[in-house]
Amino acid sequence: MPQVEVAGIRLDVVAIDELRQRLEGAFAGADVAVADTTGEGDHFDVRIRAAVFADKSLVDQHRMVYDALGEFMKDIHALSLRTESTKGESG
Amino acid sequence: MSSILDDIRHEVGESPVVVYMKGTPRFPMCGFSAATVEVLNEIGVPFKAIDVLAEGDKRDGVKQYTNWPTIPQLFVGGQFVGGCDIVREMHERGELAALIRAAVDGEASG
Repeated sequence: MPQVEVAGIRLDVVAIDELRQRLEGAFAGADVAVADTTGEGDHFDVRIRAAVFADKSLVDQHRMVYDALGEFMKDIHALSLRTESTKGESG
Repeated sequence: MSSILDDIRHEVGESPVVVYMKGTPRFPMCGFSAATVEVLNEIGVPFKAIDVLAEGDKRDGVKQYTNWPTIPQLFVGGQFVGGCDIVREMHERGELAALIRAAVDGEASG
């Protein structure tokens, strides 16, 4: 994991590609968009559109994303999340 | 730790709308908490706010209670609704006001 030095302290930062790869691996076939909102590797905006979200509550959908992110969560200070099901949008 | 979970269980059942946040509604200490309060103010319902920065044991306690990793957390009618993103999305769809009114009305008649 890359690191950044802030006030003499080395911190782990999450790279945007690592995050996207993790999510694409966890949600096969999903549309995944990740933005690093501050450029400092700890504030992210994540959007995922996946078939697997069909018929699940928003809380369950977000829990699935948090679970997929696993240990990344401790290095992410702010995560803005938008999830959507692909169901019913094929037409 | 079990007693803090009991406290939270009791606390979320005491008021129809309860939010665990960083800071206070008048002085939120985090953008996500501020956005959540803003939605509740727009809906125009009284709510109970718990500042997890002032009541430190509840910061991890509420995360453990809901198995949800982030603050703020909104409860309506004693049930966990979600964090800031879910609150905003439900508000955009008009679903949150309906949920809250049902909980407030249930409290008034029960």
